[in-house]
Amino acid sequence: MKRVIAVWLGVAGMAFAGKLTFPEPVKELKAGPDETKVKVDFPFTNSTDKTVVVKETVGDCSCTSIEISGGKTAYEPGESGVIRLNFDIGAAVGKVEKGASIWVDGDPKDAPSQRLTMKVDIPVLVEMEPKTLKWHVGQEMEAKTIKFQMHGDKPIHIKSVTPSTENFIQELKTIEDGRSYELVVTPKNLKSKALSIFRVETDCEVSKHRTQQVFAVVSPPVAK
Amino acid sequence: MNAAVQLLMVVGLAAAGAGGTYFAKGPPVRTLVCDPATLKPGEICLEQVQEPVVWIDARPRKDWQSNGLPGSILWNLDGAEDAAAFEAEAMQKLFENPKAVVYCSNEDCGVSQQVAEKIRKLDPDFDVKALRGGWQALKDAGRIKDSSGTP
Repeated sequence: MKRVIAVWLGVAGMAFAGKLTFPEPVKELKAGPDETKVKVDFPFTNSTDKTVVVKETVGDCSCTSIEISGGKTAYEPGESGVIRLNFDIGAAVGKVEKGASIWVDGDPKDAPSQRLTMKVDIPVLVEMEPKTLKWHVGQEMEAKTIKFQMHGDKPIHIKSVTPSTENFIQELKTIEDGRSYELVVTPKNLKSKALSIFRVETDCEVSKHRTQQVFAVVSPPVAK
Repeated sequence: MNAAVQLLMVVGLAAAGAGGTYFAKGPPVRTLVCDPATLKPGEICLEQVQEPVVWIDARPRKDWQSNGLPGSILWNLDGAEDAAAFEAEAMQKLFENPKAVVYCSNEDCGVSQQVAEKIRKLDPDFDVKALRGGWQALKDAGRIKDSSGTP
């Protein structure tokens, strides 16, 4: 009976053995403000006693691409390789998480055996708070303010603010030239719902930070 | 009886049992089961969604165009997309109905939670949830006819 158990454990061990071992499946990095692409390498080792073949790799979006060391997909026991995850940053800012799913031979279609994740911190050069100004129909009229803080080495100036509708009155105040601004917004009336999208044009040298948008909303009365 | 024969008997009995169960009960149910007790903060089960809501597809554009939920709008985190346009369209929809449910491909994609977080930053009063099980849950519920999709 002991031999039966030993054979059984051996078979089960082979069936459920780990596949590719990644010491660091999650990695964090910081991107420069004008960087358009970043890449992260994920080293791995075949820690099983049989050849493992990488069958498929799928990134989270079309902004990611995946490379395997030299295009090699089959790894002998003990052999190591690297999977590189490339991320096209595009217009993304702030903390962004991107990943890839890795299928090796024997993985079910809906269950990749490995997930790789990169956490990228992309500097915010134009910070706006709040993003949306809000009033309710019937409330007392008051002006509200969005604060702009410019970050980075060089000053960033607001060149223009263009609303999508005529429902609000806006005034741009310079608090510190190239560093700090306030957009003061007042609804023309609070009798009905209204929405306006304000496009804020700056002279930021990094194109993806150049145009921003904020919102002003008059919502229905709050239910009592 | 040697060990190999005993092993074969064990495997054979197990296979016979499995086959009998399959014959009697049919194939295993593969649809997702969403237990509200296991939801993470900000998630919702499809059965809990009280329509009308603004449906937001967080998958790649080609998937949304191919088999997105009818009436849904697109907001993904693809760097090649116009994030400001997504934001403006979502704002206009949520201005009319401040309840939204975001879905991505499946249980593991995680993008829906990130998009939901971006929507909450637009206005903390928006009631926005990420759909547990994503597009796959909608498909299993018969809300989507096309069988293709990102794995």
